[in-house]
Amino acid sequence: MATSTSDEDLVRSTLDGDEEAFSRLFDRYRVPVYSTSYRILQNPEAARDATQEIFVKLYRSLRTFDPRKSKFSTWLYRLAANHAIDSWRSRRARGETRLPDEPAQAERLLRESIMAEAIQSPYEQVESREKVDEIRRCIEALPELQKKVFVLRYFQELKLDEIAEMEDCSLGTVKTSLFRATQTIRRRLRRFGGIQ
Amino acid sequence: MMRAESQHHTEEDLLMYLLGEETLRPAGEIEGHVAECGECAGVLSEYRELLSALREWELPELPEADWSAQKARLLAFFRLERDREPHRAFWYPLLQALDHGWNYALENPLPTMAFVAAATAFALERTISVFALDRLLPVTGELIEILRQVL
Repeated sequence: MATSTSDEDLVRSTLDGDEEAFSRLFDRYRVPVYSTSYRILQNPEAARDATQEIFVKLYRSLRTFDPRKSKFSTWLYRLAANHAIDSWRSRRARGETRLPDEPAQAERLLRESIMAEAIQSPYEQVESREKVDEIRRCIEALPELQKKVFVLRYFQELKLDEIAEMEDCSLGTVKTSLFRATQTIRRRLRRFGGIQ
Repeated sequence: MMRAESQHHTEEDLLMYLLGEETLRPAGEIEGHVAECGECAGVLSEYRELLSALREWELPELPEADWSAQKARLLAFFRLERDREPHRAFWYPLLQALDHGWNYALENPLPTMAFVAAATAFALERTISVFALDRLLPVTGELIEILRQVL
């Protein structure tokens, strides 16, 4: 019964000052918001902090949400992706991101952990970890719009027309961004040997 | 084979087909072509492999204690902001009702126009009757007859 309350009803109650409604919105969306932030920031602590900031932003801008224009989830994912991109930009300016081909310490640590795991794991598992790691580095290097579209399509499973609507751009632009991002990663994986 | 090659699909279209998105050519045509063309089948298979690799990228779980602490901080923030907001003021429900009414009017223009017309006719009829305008201005006598018939 309680779980069937629609997002729109929870938003309305939150705006009317109902703390329980806001708490339920948080419970319902904390994982997808954290996931969006994590795929962009690629750091669990930064993603956790970003999640909190996104919910603060959500509350402050809740009055601008118009249920006739978009679904609440789509509106929230847009907020989350934009905030995560901004955080990523700040982290990059502070030198806290792990850019591709940079011999950063985090990179070395990750490689060492993979090697350590290789001693006990089957070869396929290591290969799969390395492939995922390569994909992560590629995603980090993508231009911002491509990165946003990539994360929202593949990890939040939004349809491309929904992304186009929320980004206020044409479906063609979104399709091209997604294609370029996916193609870049496919080519990189092929070079890396992750794709046969 | 030559026929199949001459109809190669773009990589973008193959990817959109795989994702179930709108494609330039019908899905059936793409399926038929991929069944015959090794090159396009290869591209499609690479994208399929990439999508499957994406699913292997796991989300690091946060301990429940982290979530609870975060929720407690957010709810504290919520209470602080809520108490600061003007929505506790007496005129807030009135503003909300106006906002809901305006939204209803935008969503349902025909009933709204009918309501506005009826309300205007009623107000005119009352104004003319109460102030006896039909005696001062003869033309309003005809108008009031029409309004009474309409109402």
